[in-house]
Amino acid sequence: MPAFRSTLSNKIKLFLPHALAYRREIAIGVAALLLTDLAGLAIPWFFKLAVDLLPQKPAPGVLLQYGGLLLSAAAVQGVCRFGWRQYLFGPARKIEFDILNRLMSHFLVLDKAYYQVQKVGDLMSRATNDLRAIRDFVGMGLLILVDSQVVILACLCLMVYLNPRLTLYCMVPLPAISLLFYRLSGSVGRKQQIVQAHLSKITSMVQENLAGIRVLHAFVQEENEKRKFAGLNGEYIQKNLELARLYGVFTPSLIFAIGIAGLMSLWIGGKSVIAGDMTLGSFVAFNGYLAMLSWPMMGIGYVFNLTQRGLSSMARLEEILLARPSVETAPDRETSPFRVEGGIAFRGLNFRYPDARDYCLRDVHFEIKKGSSAAIIGMIGAGKSSLVQLLPRIFESERGTVLIDGVPVQDIPLRELRRSIGYVDQEPFLFSASIRDNIVFGQLGAGEDEVRSVVGLAGLEPDLDRFPDGLDTMVGERGVSLSGGQKQRLALARALIKKPRILILDDAFSSLDAETEETVLDNIREYARGTTTIFIAHRLSAVRGVDRIFVLERGTVVEQGTHSELIRRDGYYRKIYKSQALARQMEIFMQ
Amino acid sequence: MNDLYGEDLRERYYDWNLLKRVLFYLQPYRGLVLLSVTLLFGVSLLNLAGPYLTKIAIDDYIKVSNFAGLDRIAVLYVSALAGAFACQFLQTLVMQYVGQKAMFDLRTQVFSHLHRMSFGFFDRNPIGKLVTRAVNDVEVLNEMLTSGIVMVFNDLFTLAGIAAILIYLDWRLFLAVCATFPPLLLATAIFRTRARDAMRKYRAHVSAINSSLAENLSGMSAVQTFAREEENYRQFLDIHQKKLGEDLRALRYNSIYLPSIDVFSAMGIALVIWYGGGRFVQEEIQLGVLVAFLQYLQKFFDPVRDLAEKFNLMQSAMTSSERIFELLDTPEQLPNPENPRPISRARGKVEFKNVWFAYKGDDYVLKDVSFSVEAGESLAIVGATGSGKTTIVNLLCRFYDIQKGEIFLDGIPIASMNKYDLRRQIALVQQDVFLFSGNIMDNIRLGNVALGQQEVESIAQTAHSHQFINQLPCRYEQEVREKGSLLSLGQKQLLSFARALAFDPRVLALDEATSSVDTETERLVQDALAKLVRDRTSIIIAHRLSTLKNVDKVLVLRHGQVQEFGTRRQLLENKGIFYRLYNLQMSEDLGDIPEEKRIPLSDPLP
Repeated sequence: MPAFRSTLSNKIKLFLPHALAYRREIAIGVAALLLTDLAGLAIPWFFKLAVDLLPQKPAPGVLLQYGGLLLSAAAVQGVCRFGWRQYLFGPARKIEFDILNRLMSHFLVLDKAYYQVQKVGDLMSRATNDLRAIRDFVGMGLLILVDSQVVILACLCLMVYLNPRLTLYCMVPLPAISLLFYRLSGSVGRKQQIVQAHLSKITSMVQENLAGIRVLHAFVQEENEKRKFAGLNGEYIQKNLELARLYGVFTPSLIFAIGIAGLMSLWIGGKSVIAGDMTLGSFVAFNGYLAMLSWPMMGIGYVFNLTQRGLSSMARLEEILLARPSVETAPDRETSPFRVEGGIAFRGLNFRYPDARDYCLRDVHFEIKKGSSAAIIGMIGAGKSSLVQLLPRIFESERGTVLIDGVPVQDIPLRELRRSIGYVDQEPFLFSASIRDNIVFGQLGAGEDEVRSVVGLAGLEPDLDRFPDGLDTMVGERGVSLSGGQKQRLALARALIKKPRILILDDAFSSLDAETEETVLDNIREYARGTTTIFIAHRLSAVRGVDRIFVLERGTVVEQGTHSELIRRDGYYRKIYKSQALARQMEIFMQ
Repeated sequence: MNDLYGEDLRERYYDWNLLKRVLFYLQPYRGLVLLSVTLLFGVSLLNLAGPYLTKIAIDDYIKVSNFAGLDRIAVLYVSALAGAFACQFLQTLVMQYVGQKAMFDLRTQVFSHLHRMSFGFFDRNPIGKLVTRAVNDVEVLNEMLTSGIVMVFNDLFTLAGIAAILIYLDWRLFLAVCATFPPLLLATAIFRTRARDAMRKYRAHVSAINSSLAENLSGMSAVQTFAREEENYRQFLDIHQKKLGEDLRALRYNSIYLPSIDVFSAMGIALVIWYGGGRFVQEEIQLGVLVAFLQYLQKFFDPVRDLAEKFNLMQSAMTSSERIFELLDTPEQLPNPENPRPISRARGKVEFKNVWFAYKGDDYVLKDVSFSVEAGESLAIVGATGSGKTTIVNLLCRFYDIQKGEIFLDGIPIASMNKYDLRRQIALVQQDVFLFSGNIMDNIRLGNVALGQQEVESIAQTAHSHQFINQLPCRYEQEVREKGSLLSLGQKQLLSFARALAFDPRVLALDEATSSVDTETERLVQDALAKLVRDRTSIIIAHRLSTLKNVDKVLVLRHGQVQEFGTRRQLLENKGIFYRLYNLQMSEDLGDIPEEKRIPLSDPLP
C-alpha cells in the first residue's frame, strides 16, 4: 500500500460534506450567537446609564425602567443562548452520529487482512475518543472562534470609547492569558498523553496477570507481582503529580492574570474617576466589559488546541476510511445469479498473507468432489486453516487458483459464496445475545423447527435442558457462560442452520469429549450427505472415515489418500496415528 | 434492572454508607485533607475580596478623592490576588497528592485481592470485567475524590461567603435578591431530574454502542462469513439512533437550564438596580454597596452551575465504587489455616485418600479417588478426556478445595499447610505454555531474581533451550512478544521445562502436550523430560504410550473414578487396561485394522 500523505484538502474532502449537511442549522446557531453577544454587550452599558443617573436622584419609575431594560436584554440573551446551544452543539452531535455510522459501514467492508494488523482497542479508541475530539472541534471550536472574535472586538471598541488610556493599561496582561492558555494547555495535553500511556501499561499488566493467573499461582509469584504492580503504580502517581503541578499553576495563573487586569482597572480607573476624566458609571461599565473579556481570551488559546487535536483526530479517522479491503467484488458480477453446488479445486495455489515475507501455501493442487468428504491434517502452522479460509474469501487468493464448481471464487457473488459455505473454527466468536439469537445469526428468519433441528444435530439438547431459560439463555460476552464444548457446538448449529453447500469444520470439536464428538460426527455424516464437507482435526479418530485425507506440511500437500492407504505408508499420517494411540485407546476403553 | 443493556440505572447520590466507605480511603491522609479544605476556604475568601475592595475604593476613596487610599487598596488587591494564587496552587497539589495516594492504596488493594481469588472465581468472571474494576473504576473514583468531593466545598464556601457578605452589606437588599431563589431552585429541580434521566440513558446507550462496536470489530470474521453485514449495521444503527436521541434530549435540557440561570441572575441584578437604586436615592446605602452587590451577584451563580455538574460526576463515581467494593467483599476462597504446619523442603510423598471433588454443586468430577506416590517415584495418569486427570493436579496444588477426603504431602494434610509453602514444593507444567511480556530470562526464572545469568543459562542448557535462545537476536534479553509468535510450539515447551527446573520443585506435575512437534524437537522434549523427573516425585498426565514405559506407577481414571492403580509390574500382572495399553506400545504394528476389531474390549469395565 503506498504511503499516504494526509493533507488538509483531503480532510476537507472527507469531512466537509458532513458539516455541510447541517449548514442551515449552523447558520441559525451562528446568528443566535451573534445576538447573544450583542445583548450581553448591552448589559454593562445599562449599568453605566443607571449608575450615572443615580447621583441625580431619579424617580423610582426611572430605575424600574432600567431594571426592565436589563431584564429584557437578559431575556434576549437567554433565548439566543438556547438558540446557539441547540444549533451549534446539536449539529456537532449529529455530525458525530453521521461519521460514526460511516465508520461502522466501512468497518463492515474491511476484511480480515486489515483486522489482523489492527488492534481492536486502537480502532475503538479512534471510533470513540477521536470522534469525540472532532465533535468538540466542530461544536466548541466553531463557538469559540465566532464568539471570541466578536466579543473581543466589540469589548475593546467599547472600552476604548469609555477610556482609551485605561484600555491600554488593562490590555497589558490580557494577551498573556491567551499565550499562557495556549502554552500550558499544550503541555497539559502532552503530559496527559504520558499519563494515558502509563495507564494502559497498568491495564496490560492487570490483563496479563489475570490471563496467566494459573502459572503465577502455581509458581507462587503473588508477592513478586504485587511488588511489580506497586512499582508501576508508583510511577503512575509520579506522572499524575507532574500533571497536577501543571494544573496547579494553570487555573490560578489565569485567575491571577485576569485579576491583574481588574486591578489596573480599579487602580488607574479609580484615579481617572477621582480626576474627573471618567464618570463612575463608565468605570462600572468598564469593569463589566473587562470581565467579559477573560473567557474569550482563554478561548483563543483553547481553540488552537481544539483545532490541533481535531485535525490529528481527523487524520486518524481518515486512515480508517481510506483503507481498502483486499477482498473486493466487482459490482457487475455481484448481480449475476449463481448457485454454488460444492465442487472444490485448488490449482497450483501459492499464498502468503498480506505483508508476510514467506509463502504459507505452496503449489497446492487437488480437488474435492461435490458432495464428498475430505480431511486436511498436519502440524500447527502447516497452513490448514489458511487453505480453507481462501474458500469463503476471508483472505484473497490469486484469481484462478481457488475454484468452486470450476469457477474462480472471485467470480462468484460474495454474498452467495459466503452464504453457501458454513465455516466453523476452533474458537468461534459468539455474540452476547441468547443462544437462539446466536443460532439464528446464521439464517435470519429461521423458524422454531429449524432451530430445534440444528440444536439436535449439534448435540446441544441435553445442555439446553440444564439451562433454566433453555434457548433464551444469554451466553454472555463472547459466550463466557458456556463451556468450550458448548460454544463449539453452538457454532456448529449456527453454521448448519444456513444449510451450507460446503461445510468446513476447522478443528471445530477440539473441546468436545470423545463420546459427544462421536455423536455429533454421526449426526453430521447423516445430515451432510450430499454436502461437501472438509474436516481439519488433530484427533485422527475423527477423520478416519472420510473419502480422502490430505496431509499438509509447510504449506504443501505431502501425502494424500484414504485412511487405509495412508496407514500403510511410512509417513506423517502413520506417525501421528501411532502417537495418538494412547488417547484413542483411552477413549475406546472408557466409553 | 436489565432494561437498558444490563446497565445499572439505580440512583446513588445519597448512599451514605458507600460514600463513607470511599472516604475511609482518605482517612490516612486526614491531616492533608483538612489542610486542603482550609486552603480552599482561603481561596474562596480571597477570590471574594475583589468586589469588596472595589466597594471600599468607591465609597471611601474615589468619592472623596483620596489618591493615597486608592494606592493602599491597590496593594491590598494585589496581595489578595497573590494569596489566592498561592492557596489555590498549594491546594491543588495537596489534594492531588492525597487523591493519588488514596488511589494507589485502593488499586493495590484491588490487585492484591484479585490474587487472593481462586481459579473458580476466574472461571466465572471474564478478564475484561476484572480489568475494568482494577483500572477504570478506580480512575473514576480518583476523579471524584480529587475534584468532586473537595471541590464541592469550594462551591459551598463561595456560596456561603457571598451570602454572608451580601447580608453584611445590606440585608434588606439581600432579601430582595432572595426573591429569585425559589424559581431558580424550582428550575434546578425540574432540570436535574430530567437531565439526570437523559444522561443516564445516554450513558447506557453509549456503553451499548461501544460494546456493539467492539463486538463487531472482534467478531468481524463471523459477521462477514455469515454475510450479516446489513443486519448488524441495522442493529447498530438502531442503538445509535437511541443514543443520539438521548444526547439531543440532554442537550435540550442544558440549553434551557443553563441560559435560565443567566435570566435569574439578570432578575436579581434588575432587582438590585430597582430596589437598591431606590434606597441609594433615599441615601440609605452607598453607591459602592450597590456596585459590590452587582459584582457579587454575577459570581453567585457560577457555583450553582458547578454543583449541578458535580452531581453527574458523583453518580458515575458511586456506581464505580459499588462495583469495586463488590469485588473487595468477595471473600478469599482458599484461606490459609490459622496455624499452618511449617514445611521448608518436602520429601515429596503424595497421597490422595478417598477424595471427592465437584467444581459445581454435586456434579462430582472425582469420586472417592485414592492413590499414593512415594518420594522420588513417577506416576502416569491416563484416562479419557474429561475423566478428571487435570483436576487431580489442580487439587494437589490446592487451587480448589475438595469436598470429602484428604490429600497429603509427606503425610501432612495439605489443607493444614500454608498454601504458598505447599505450592513452592510443586512445579506445574501445563499443556499450553503461557509466556509473560518481558525477556526470555525473566520468563525462565519468573520472580526468582536471585538466579543469575550463569545459573539460568545452565538450567536452559539442561532443558535443551540454550541453543535456540542463543540464536535469538538478543539472546536471553530477547523480549517475548504478545502471543509469543517468536517461538515455535516445541521451543515453548522446552522453555516451560526450564521454568520448572529453575523452580527446583520436590514434586513435578506435568500435563504432557498433545500437539505434535517435529521429530527432532520431540527427541529434545523427551530427553529434557527425563532430566526433569530425575530425583523428584513426578505426576505426569500422559498422552503418549512411550511415557508409560518410563514411569514407576500408573493411575487409570474413568469418569472420575480410579479404574486401576499400582506399579507397572502389578498392573501388568492384572492384565487390565494398562496391560493392553502396554502391549500396544510394544507392538509396532498399528496397521489399518479398525480398533474395534484389534482390541477385543467392549468389556469388563463395571
